[in-house]
Amino acid sequence: MALLARVAERLYWGARYCERAEDTARVIRAFNDQFVDFPVSAGMRWEPLAAITGTPAQVPADATDLGEMAVLHSLIADQTNPSSIASSVEAARENLRTTREVVPREAWAAVNQLARFARAESSHAVGRPGRDWFLGRIIEISRRLDGVLESTMSRDAAYRMWRIGRLVERADMTTRVLGVRAASILDTEGDRHRLEELQWMGVLRSVSALQMYQRAVRGPIEAERVLRFLMLHEPFPRSVRSCVSDLRNEIGHLSARAELIGLLDALDSALSECDPDVMDGAAIDAAMDTLQLALGDLHRGIINEFAS
Amino acid sequence: MDELLGPDGQPRPAAAELLRMLSSLKPDALDERQRAAEAEILTMGITFTVYSDGEDIDRAWPFDVVPRIIDGAEWDSVSAGLAQRLRALNLFIDDIYNDRRIIADGVFPEDLLNDSVNLRDQCRDMRPPNGVWAHISGSDLVRHADGDLYVLEDNLRVPSGVSYMLENRAVAKRTFPGLFERQSIRPVDSYTDELNRLLRAVAPDGVTDPQIAVLTPGVFNSAYFEHSFLAQRMGAELVEGIDLTVGDDGRVYMRTIDGLERVDVIYRRVDDLFLDPEVFRPDSLIGVPGLMRAWREGHVTIVNAPGAGVADDKVVYAWVPDIIRYYLAEEPIIANVPTWRCMYDDERRHVLDNLRELVVKPANESGGYGILIGDRATDEQLAASREAIEADPRNWVAQPILDLSTVPTVIDGTLAPRHVDLRPFILTRGIGPGESYVTPGGLTRVALPEGSLVVNSSQGGGSKDTWIVDLPEGAR
Repeated sequence: MALLARVAERLYWGARYCERAEDTARVIRAFNDQFVDFPVSAGMRWEPLAAITGTPAQVPADATDLGEMAVLHSLIADQTNPSSIASSVEAARENLRTTREVVPREAWAAVNQLARFARAESSHAVGRPGRDWFLGRIIEISRRLDGVLESTMSRDAAYRMWRIGRLVERADMTTRVLGVRAASILDTEGDRHRLEELQWMGVLRSVSALQMYQRAVRGPIEAERVLRFLMLHEPFPRSVRSCVSDLRNEIGHLSARAELIGLLDALDSALSECDPDVMDGAAIDAAMDTLQLALGDLHRGIINEFAS
Repeated sequence: MDELLGPDGQPRPAAAELLRMLSSLKPDALDERQRAAEAEILTMGITFTVYSDGEDIDRAWPFDVVPRIIDGAEWDSVSAGLAQRLRALNLFIDDIYNDRRIIADGVFPEDLLNDSVNLRDQCRDMRPPNGVWAHISGSDLVRHADGDLYVLEDNLRVPSGVSYMLENRAVAKRTFPGLFERQSIRPVDSYTDELNRLLRAVAPDGVTDPQIAVLTPGVFNSAYFEHSFLAQRMGAELVEGIDLTVGDDGRVYMRTIDGLERVDVIYRRVDDLFLDPEVFRPDSLIGVPGLMRAWREGHVTIVNAPGAGVADDKVVYAWVPDIIRYYLAEEPIIANVPTWRCMYDDERRHVLDNLRELVVKPANESGGYGILIGDRATDEQLAASREAIEADPRNWVAQPILDLSTVPTVIDGTLAPRHVDLRPFILTRGIGPGESYVTPGGLTRVALPEGSLVVNSSQGGGSKDTWIVDLPEGAR
């Protein structure tokens, strides 16, 4: 089955935006959970949340903290922020609206529902009462969409492009969570340190990894193990290693793409250089930057290869 | 007259089941079903696009749950009439671009062609596969006070609406499942299969397994939903002009992730003038340079063929009965609405003298724009129309104000009569008898404001499902 280059690009972007909305919802949910657990004295702030999702924190000159409502408005409902859940969902819908001929009808209905839901509810989800319910629904509908594709779509080039978009975005989000959160925990000194375990639980929850971590590691939550798990634990589908390995598989199903295989090799070797046992905050930060650059190269490679 | 109710207010036989069911509903139940249907349309993302600089240009498709019903026996004759009409029109188009026998024989005046905006010199001497030019057409039918259905106009270029006909049926089946179970309502769902069969049948010579593409002007076109729907249902590629290129070998290719792939049949939903900037409008960004060359050389079939619009000119319309008699030696099975052609002095005089009693239409506009309905127009509108006719007589025709039939429609939770028309779709894959397919029913469009006759969805019209009901012997 032939796949038009233009359609391939739209599917890829549709999947990225969909994954971005879903992952942003997971991150906010976990952060929210942790925030309410922490004593006020711990001085937890909302800005790191904005940093994870790549939203430029527009801190007013006279403010010390951006504030909960401002950050959440920006991440959830702000249509001028291209990374907000509202914008991502709209972009996912528009990309699928214009590729409906290649995806199952039910999948279009799911993304249409996602957009209609976000339009109606996102502004009510900024405040605490409706927030968790809203984020949960976003994740649920996004998962349903992939469930439809997984169970009713042929494994053709269109399906591969969708998967590739999902995986690139997912890998990117895991590196962002690690880059911002892990680095800041490792650099924190003094009495906040006693909350370290809770902090790491928050990191794991941000990528829905806590339970799988505990099953795999069977020990206390420790920095090195968390880092290793999220970067290198291949069986866990949101680890960077797993995303890269799945990408290799998906790209392998499309006809020979030597350049992309080279970019995946580069990602793998960057991963292999990460040794959580000897990394401090600065090293983590730098390693995640390297991975994000390599993911950026892969993204450009995909666009060049398939979309032009 | 009303489609469902007789003059005595009693249900017509084919509508009896429906009306019995409707009258048994509790007061709010009808409105509930209407709202459930609308919710389903939103969920499924069944939309049409309105040209507007505001937000939200992708609007939910307007649908009324109460169907329009036609007796199967009547429909059989309408259906035969439509197939007949399209066979004749295709013979006419082919003749106009080739031998022009109809002109030589004095049946059709040549000067009509001289300033036809839809005649394309680039199509002269072309012989498209199977002799078919207008493969897909949507002819608008109206029922007048005398009880007969008339053809109001033929749309031979890029008629739209068929996807909504299919979606309306899908929604109606869920709205009134019991009615579908209890009576014999002809199914419409095989349309896309028939269309696929047609597109395959007209592939260029020697191509046995053609690659079919639907060519859309793009995602902002008002009918984009339909283009996408048809491609999806046929498993065809949905392409935009930028996806296609004409190679050095003169063939048409599409850009895929694995390089260029050959395209054999293009179901285009782009107007002639935008198809190929080398030949038509040079500023067209949605066309494909070289496409007309590829078509003329027989490397690709374009559906409908370029130039087919020459026969849906509202002036040519007035000759259709003669065209049918000339090519088929048969009497027309469905009638034309009487039409005065402003190009002729005597007919124009009649029009200008009776403007208030007539509907005045531009010969080559679609979408209901520029139409004047005499008895509803202000003095200023009448004067403007008079001026327009005198300035460019050939571009105007006039018809009597038809008393369009009505169908009960849900308005504020209760039923009220609203005017309707009907657009069936006719597929012509060859010009012989038995090579046509006519949709059972079609898209019923309804003018929602009380008394209004404008049914276009771009101007606030709604739609209904259309049921062709076969009654058991003796029930009529």
